[in-house]
Amino acid sequence: MSGIEAFSPKGMLHEGWSTQVDDYAIVCGWALEGKTFLVGDVAGGLYAFEGKSGKLIWQIKDIHKGGLLAMSIHPNGKTFATAGQDGHVNIWESQEGTATNALELGKGWVEHIKWSPDGKFLAVVFTKYVYVFDDKGQEHWRSEEHPSTVSAIAWSNSNELATACYGQVTFFDVVNDKINQKLEWRGSLVSMVLSPDGDIVACGSQDNSVHFWRRSTDEDSEMTGYPGKPSHLAFDQTGTVLATGGSDRVTVWSFQDDGPEGTVPGELMLHTEPISCLAFSHSGMLLASGARDGSVFSWFLQANGQGDPVGGAFSGDLVSQIAWHPDDTALAAINANGGITVWNFKVRTKTSLQEFE
Amino acid sequence: MSIKEKVPVTILTGFLGSGKTTLLNRILSEEHGKKIAVIENEYGEVGIDQGLVINADEEVFEMSNGCICCTVRGDLIRVLGNLMKRRDKFDYVLVETTGLADPGPVAQTFFMDDEIREEFSLDGIVTLVDAAHIDQQLGRSDESSEQVAFADVLVLNKTDLVSDESLDNLESRLRDMNRMARVIRSKQADVSIDTVLNLSAFDLDQVLQRRPTFLEPEYPFEWTGVFSLEKGRYELTLEEGPDPTMSLVLLLNQGKDETSLNSGAESCVRLYAEQEQLMNPGDMVPVGKHVSLQLQSEGTKSFFIDVDKARDIGLFTQHTAEEFNMKLTKVNTPSTDEIDNNQNISTISPIAERVWVAEHEHDDEVGSIAIEREGDVDPEKLNRWLSRLLSEKGVDIFRTKGFISYAGESKRIVFQGVHMLFTAQPDKEWGNEPRRNQLVFIGRNLDAAEMSREFDKCLV
Repeated sequence: MSGIEAFSPKGMLHEGWSTQVDDYAIVCGWALEGKTFLVGDVAGGLYAFEGKSGKLIWQIKDIHKGGLLAMSIHPNGKTFATAGQDGHVNIWESQEGTATNALELGKGWVEHIKWSPDGKFLAVVFTKYVYVFDDKGQEHWRSEEHPSTVSAIAWSNSNELATACYGQVTFFDVVNDKINQKLEWRGSLVSMVLSPDGDIVACGSQDNSVHFWRRSTDEDSEMTGYPGKPSHLAFDQTGTVLATGGSDRVTVWSFQDDGPEGTVPGELMLHTEPISCLAFSHSGMLLASGARDGSVFSWFLQANGQGDPVGGAFSGDLVSQIAWHPDDTALAAINANGGITVWNFKVRTKTSLQEFE
Repeated sequence: MSIKEKVPVTILTGFLGSGKTTLLNRILSEEHGKKIAVIENEYGEVGIDQGLVINADEEVFEMSNGCICCTVRGDLIRVLGNLMKRRDKFDYVLVETTGLADPGPVAQTFFMDDEIREEFSLDGIVTLVDAAHIDQQLGRSDESSEQVAFADVLVLNKTDLVSDESLDNLESRLRDMNRMARVIRSKQADVSIDTVLNLSAFDLDQVLQRRPTFLEPEYPFEWTGVFSLEKGRYELTLEEGPDPTMSLVLLLNQGKDETSLNSGAESCVRLYAEQEQLMNPGDMVPVGKHVSLQLQSEGTKSFFIDVDKARDIGLFTQHTAEEFNMKLTKVNTPSTDEIDNNQNISTISPIAERVWVAEHEHDDEVGSIAIEREGDVDPEKLNRWLSRLLSEKGVDIFRTKGFISYAGESKRIVFQGVHMLFTAQPDKEWGNEPRRNQLVFIGRNLDAAEMSREFDKCLV
């Protein structure tokens, strides 16, 4: 919160609605085609707000003993899953917040869950194992034991799941139960994203670097020089640019032509504290970034990684997650103080001039 | 927004069976008003009574610069990262390590990761020692001596199973290895909680208040004799002793009161750090020089001291006078050509005598080195030396603690280090306190003389 003063939304971000939840808001997402905005707080509170107005539709408390850690909304938006420190995964329907299923993994935290792109599978990380459940909640597949706790997962397609842990990224064919590829690198991987075509794997590492591999050519590279650890990474929908955190600036690597090896990344500088979340819009090269200082900016990027700000707003506290509305007409941010803010995203027109005509 | 209070963290180490779980349960039941998170690495022999228990998988990793001093615990970073988000934050975090773990990476995690450093402060490292079995363990594994070396508090547990005599021996062995730690004896880990929690062991001021002598220096000499002498020549005779050589420093105008003895000792420490000058029987002992008396030959060996006028002199010797039956006598013939041993010999008794805490010959590879000097140091020189020392020997230096007086700085500088990582921060004002430097290193196979010499070069 320090180092920045509150300011009103600027550029393409316009006042929308804001509200408050009981504790540190940790997860959020749009459900039911953007009609509903879901928020979870660390204490295990779950909330559904009307997407347009911010009116509270329903709320449930203490859904995970010890605390909530993760949420994944089903691609159809009608159901979603939550996971927590109690070692449980709960499945809910979005409309009324009814629990439809509960999976008990055991004594340990469940920090990562993710629906497959076709919505048939739910991948769940439990300690050194990854489980895949089908939409009925039946265990469909279980990974071998990883050498250490799995720190990130991502689906490269609906049958193939990538897992990251200390020293390796593994691609599992969860339908035929086999390992498609194993990429090894001695480093503690703290985050992972895949390019939309699944060819590029990018991982942030504890030692302040980003490592990536091209699966098709077996090439890999390491981008070093970050002042902090790049816990937040995002690919745009075309896989042209990779936005990374790790400092108070957004570092954008371009994969066009022969890049990013040997190229200078674009650097987006407006935040005053380290980046705490990144999200690309569903279409186009619009990036939203949130930081520990509570600032949120939207940027228009070029294919070479350079970019310009198109909107800015202040959310009040460390921005824990940001989410674009499914049709990119709004941007939502949740923060460490439980603050929820949704801005409309549109071109700022000078309506006053038209009134005189 | 108020200043963020950091959550204190205590690291609990010790071999399996040393009583860690018993102590954990004790802490949780006595501190039941507080929210305590326990991060465990192994299932204890007995269950934990209450509190939040999180299992972590002891994922130790090196930073990719390949330096083993930069290993940290990835699992801890993740677990603590999530814990600190709650609004009803934890009052305390206990991290239990497995019996075979090196506490280094756990401690380093609190220095290396920015986000963790912002929210948590390492309060102390508590090592439980099974009094009945530690002797074998110390000989067998590096881990157990590392756990002793890292400790701020050593809980000597299961004392009921061992005789008092072997407890005393064990305690002095542990103290030799780690002179910084406080040793507490217990039967069933029944120690009072305030001896293990909220120690601010990484806050040196409190350490000093509690144990003002923790940095009491060990001198490289065991004995001082002050002699009141007339002008003339004197003969120093030595018989067979425990060593074939003995170091000695001769000081003029040595006072016999406590303050003068201490200040004489202080300057002798510096002199002892210098290269010694070999002296053969019959040689003249120079003033203010570190000399090594060569005592290999059989029978009585004689060295000579010339005194220009009546004054008190001090002899600072590596061993006690008794061990070599060392005697000082006046040579009556002014001629130096011939010495007649039978003429009028009367042994001169010292007007003051002092036996110092001497540096021990350590059997264990792990030991402590204390450096204590008056005066100021040159910050740049010190920094250069410490950086070099820690980059060369960082693997073997487990802990570093101390105060430094920087020339031109009105505040005391506090040093803290775990392996290669060290911080130097200005602390309170010196005020009228005499400027001095106190540093303790705990490590394996450290060369005390070399380190003292190097430190002395940093003095202004």
